[in-house]
Amino acid sequence: MPEEFLVARNLHKSFNGNNAVNGVSFSIHKGEVFGLLGPNGAGKTTTIRMLTTVLEPDRGDIEIGGHSVRQDAEGVRALIGVCPQELALYVELSAMDNLVFFGRMVGLNGKEAKAQAMSHLDLMGLADRAKGKVDKFSGGMKRRVNLAIALMGHPQFLFLDESTVGVDPQSRNNIYETIEGLRDEGMTILYTTHYMDEADRLCDRVAIMDEGVIIAMDTPHALKSQIGNPNQVTLEDVFLKLTGRTLRD
Amino acid sequence: MNAILVALLEIRAYLRDKGGLAFSLLLPIAIFALMYGAFGGQEQFHGTAYVVDEDQGGIYSARLIEQMDELDELDVELLSRSDADDRLEHSDLYLVLYIPQGFSDKLTTDEKLPLTFKQRSNGGQEGQIVASMVRGLAEEINQGLQVQNQVEDALAESGIGGEKVEITVQKFLDREREHPIVGIEEISVGSSPDPVNQFLPGIVTMFVLFSITLTARTLVEERKKGTLERLFTTRLSVGQLFAGKFLANVSRGFVQTLILFALAYAVFQKFTPLSFGSSLVIALVFAAAASALGLVIAAVVRTEDQATWIGVFFTMAMTMLGGTFFEISEGTMMETISRFSVNTYANEAFYTVIARGGTLADVGFEIAVVAGVAVVALIIARSLFKVAQEGK
Ligand SMILES: Nc1ncnc2c1ncn2[C@@H]1O[C@H](COP(=O)(O)OP(=O)(O)OP(=O)(O)O)[C@@H](O)[C@H]1O
Ligand SMILES: [Mg+2]
Repeated sequence: MPEEFLVARNLHKSFNGNNAVNGVSFSIHKGEVFGLLGPNGAGKTTTIRMLTTVLEPDRGDIEIGGHSVRQDAEGVRALIGVCPQELALYVELSAMDNLVFFGRMVGLNGKEAKAQAMSHLDLMGLADRAKGKVDKFSGGMKRRVNLAIALMGHPQFLFLDESTVGVDPQSRNNIYETIEGLRDEGMTILYTTHYMDEADRLCDRVAIMDEGVIIAMDTPHALKSQIGNPNQVTLEDVFLKLTGRTLRD
Repeated sequence: MNAILVALLEIRAYLRDKGGLAFSLLLPIAIFALMYGAFGGQEQFHGTAYVVDEDQGGIYSARLIEQMDELDELDVELLSRSDADDRLEHSDLYLVLYIPQGFSDKLTTDEKLPLTFKQRSNGGQEGQIVASMVRGLAEEINQGLQVQNQVEDALAESGIGGEKVEITVQKFLDREREHPIVGIEEISVGSSPDPVNQFLPGIVTMFVLFSITLTARTLVEERKKGTLERLFTTRLSVGQLFAGKFLANVSRGFVQTLILFALAYAVFQKFTPLSFGSSLVIALVFAAAASALGLVIAAVVRTEDQATWIGVFFTMAMTMLGGTFFEISEGTMMETISRFSVNTYANEAFYTVIARGGTLADVGFEIAVVAGVAVVALIIARSLFKVAQEGK
C-alpha cells in the first residue's frame, strides 16, 4: 500500500447556493501525478483552492502530508507549491523579482531564492529575459513565469491548474517537459487540463469530475479499457462518453 | 521579516509607477505653489482707483487725487469719461470716481457738486475698499474747508484776509495729518497670516491622506490579479501581509512629508532643526493613521474603482473639515464637525510646532488622537479583511 500523501474526504463548497463542489473524495499517493479532469465549471479549480488552503470547505476535510488543512494550514503551506489557473504575477516587476519574492515567501533566504529563481527561469527558457518586466512578456512567457513561481522552494506537492492553457505548442512542450522532469524527480503533482492527450501521457491516475462530483477515477489505461481497446480509444473518448456532449457554461 | 519583504515589494512597485510618484510628490508642490501665489501676495490691500477728472485746474480735485496717490494702498489711473464708461460697460472696471466740472469752484459756494461713484453691481470687493478710502480723503478735505470757513467767519470782523486764513488752516491740517492726535496703530493678533504656515500642513496632510487610495487599491488589485490568494499558499500570514502593507504605506507617507517639508525648509526657511524634527514625528504618526485607514477601505471595497472613489471622497471630506483651504472659526458648528477629521488634529499639531514654536509636548493630545485613529483603524481593517473573493 503506497503512502497516501493527500486525502480529501467528502468536500463540499457552494457559492450563493450553487454547489460548485458537491461531495468529492479522493487520495493521492506520494510521487504520483494525479489528473483532475472535467468540463468547464466542473469544480476543479474550486477543489484546488480548498486543497491549497485559500478557500475553506463548507464541509469535509483535507489532509496533506499528515497536516489538516483546517487545523494546520501553515503545515500544509510548507509542503505545497501552487500554479493557479489565472496568472498571479506582479506584472510591474521583473520575472526575477517575482520569483525571488515568492521564493522568500516560502522561506528561502536571499541567496537561495536568487539561485533557484535563476535555475527555474533557465529551465523555462527565460534566463535571458530574467530582468525583463513581466508586463512586456507574451502570454506563453507569463504562463512559464507563473509555473516557475510555483516551483520555488522545491515543494513536495505541486498543484497545477491548467498551466498550459493559452500557450503555443513550443511553450506547451516546454511546460510539459518540465512537469515530466519534476515527476521523474519524485514530486507529487495534482494536475488539471483540458488537453486529454497531455493527461494521458503525464498522469498515473485521473479523476473525471462533472457538476461538482467525481464520476470516474482510475489509471488512463483502465478508463480506456472500460470503453474499448485501450490502444485504439483515447482518453478524450472516455471523457466525452462520461460527461456527454452538451455544452457547459 | 516577511512583512518587511512585502513592504519592500510594494515600495519597489510604487517607485516604478511614475504616475503615482508624480501624483504624490509633484502635485502637492504644484498646488502649494498655486495657493501661495493666490493668497501669498495679498496680505496688504492694494488697489487701483479709476478717476475721471473733469474738474480741470480745480485745486480741490487736484488735492484729492494727489492725496489718493500718496497712499501706499492706492494707485490712481486717470481716464476720460468715454473711456471709463466704455470699460464699465464691458465689466472691465467695476468702480469709477467722477469728479464733475467746476467741483473745486463750487465747493466754496452754496451749490456744491457731489463726487460720483459709478459702479457695476456692488463695485466688487476692491472697488468697495477703494471707495471707502476715497470717502475718507474727501471727508478730510471737507473738514478742512469747514474749519477754514468757520475761522474765516469768526475772523471776518477783524479784517484778516481769506488767503492768509486758508494758508494757516492748511498748515495746521497738514501737521495734524502727520502727527494725528488720535493715533492708529495696527497690530496683527493670533495666527500670523503667513500663507506658508497656513497652507503647508493642510496640503501635506491632504496628500499623505490621498495615499490611502493607493493603499486601498493595491490590496484590491492584488486580490483581483490573484497574487493575494497566491501569497496565502505560501508561509505568509495575514498578519504579516497586513504589517507589510502598513509598513510600506507608512514609509511612503512619511517620505512624502519629509520631501515636502524639506523643500519648505530650504525655500521658505520655515523650520528650525527642532521644529523640523518634531514635524517629522507628527508626520510619522499621521502616515500611520492614513495607512491604517487605507487598509480599512481596502478591506471593505471589492473593486479598484470603489477603492479610488471612497478614498478620494474620504480624503476630500477630511481635508475640508481639517481647515486646509479655509479657516474654521472657533465656536461654530463647523468647528464641532471638524473635530471628526483626523486632519484637524494633524494640521493643528504641525501648525503648533512650525508656526508657534511649540514642542511635541504641546501637541501631545493631537498626536494621541491621530495615533488612536491608527490603532483603531488597524484593528477594524484586520477584522474585516478577507483573503479570497468568494462571491463574484
Ligand atoms: N468565487 C466564486 N463565486 C461564485 N461562483 C463561483 C466562484 N468560483 C467558482 N464558482 C462557480 O463554481 C463552479 C465551479 O467552478 P470552477 O472554477 O471550480 O470550475 P472548473 O472546473 O475549474 O472550470 P474551468 O475548467 O472552466 O476552469 C462554476 O459554476 C463557477 O461558476
Ligand atoms: Mg478552473
